[in-house]
Amino acid sequence: MIFLIEYDRPRGHIVQFKVFSDSERAAAQDIRLEIELNLNRSRVDHEVVLLEAMSEEAVRRTHRRYFENPRQIVESTSGGDAPP
Amino acid sequence: MTLSRMQIDRLGDRLRRGSLADSDLRLLDQYRRSFGEAYEKVVDAIRNQLQLDPSGRPAKSTSSIIEKLHRESIRLVQVQDIAGCRIIVADRAEQERVVAALRAVFPAASVVDRRANPSYGYRAVHVVAQISGQSVEVQVRTSLQHAWAELSEKLSDLFDPAIKYGGGTDEVREVLVSASELVEQVEAREGQISDLGAGIAELHQLSAPEDLPQRLPDLLRRLAEARARISERKAKLGEVFNQMIAEAERGEAS
Repeated sequence: MIFLIEYDRPRGHIVQFKVFSDSERAAAQDIRLEIELNLNRSRVDHEVVLLEAMSEEAVRRTHRRYFENPRQIVESTSGGDAPP
Repeated sequence: MTLSRMQIDRLGDRLRRGSLADSDLRLLDQYRRSFGEAYEKVVDAIRNQLQLDPSGRPAKSTSSIIEKLHRESIRLVQVQDIAGCRIIVADRAEQERVVAALRAVFPAASVVDRRANPSYGYRAVHVVAQISGQSVEVQVRTSLQHAWAELSEKLSDLFDPAIKYGGGTDEVREVLVSASELVEQVEAREGQISDLGAGIAELHQLSAPEDLPQRLPDLLRRLAEARARISERKAKLGEVFNQMIAEAERGEAS
């Protein structure tokens, strides 16, 4: 699965989250570029990234910073974070 | 159309200067997409030959590339992690096994071990595979190394982008390094437990039955002590992680 994330760094939250199948990588890349071009034209500084994983659960675990606040990240550690 | 090194480096210069034109972003997109085949080969090999499920990032984000160009004064063509993926494992023993397996699958890979020499507290092993002249970085982190890295990144996002590279206030820096050292201590203890567990298993298999009553209680006692110390260190690590958040919040407020 492919995940497109538009992330507002200073606010620490996701602005856009889209899911694509593995066969839609080119489309996901095109959309990523379009979002980035639009953000650049309007001078909005968001991070736009494509991630790939077997499941949404997996990407939430390997890239926690996009999905969780600092305290949630700490809590996930004390809860005995199980590896994939 | 393949981009020349000169085109890529000129693009890097423009990225470093800022004020990007649409054509720059399109060119960067083209450059990043050129890593697609190498990236797929690496991820496929990890999935099919090692039976692991990495999370991939086929192309580094524009903001991360720009930050790296500023931070490291390198040319765009020298950035090794345009494409990469990440594997999270339970502990150091598994990390060693996975890194060894990656080296076997990608014999030409370079290995950057940031455990012995952490980068501003960041600990992990990066295996940089070379596929047809292109680099694909595989990050191998334990759960604890990963938690530290994600927390450091998140605090950088929210409070100060410099935090994860040794910036921020003195207090933030100290607590980040202190948390990283605790991660190292917990993982070293886990290694001891693993060794003791192996010792007990070996004793069961190899020793004559009359040895067991003498040696087993001592091993079990040491195992229990090591586990207790890990619990203590993990509790302390949770406290220090929370201290990291508090210091970052305080640093922003001041």
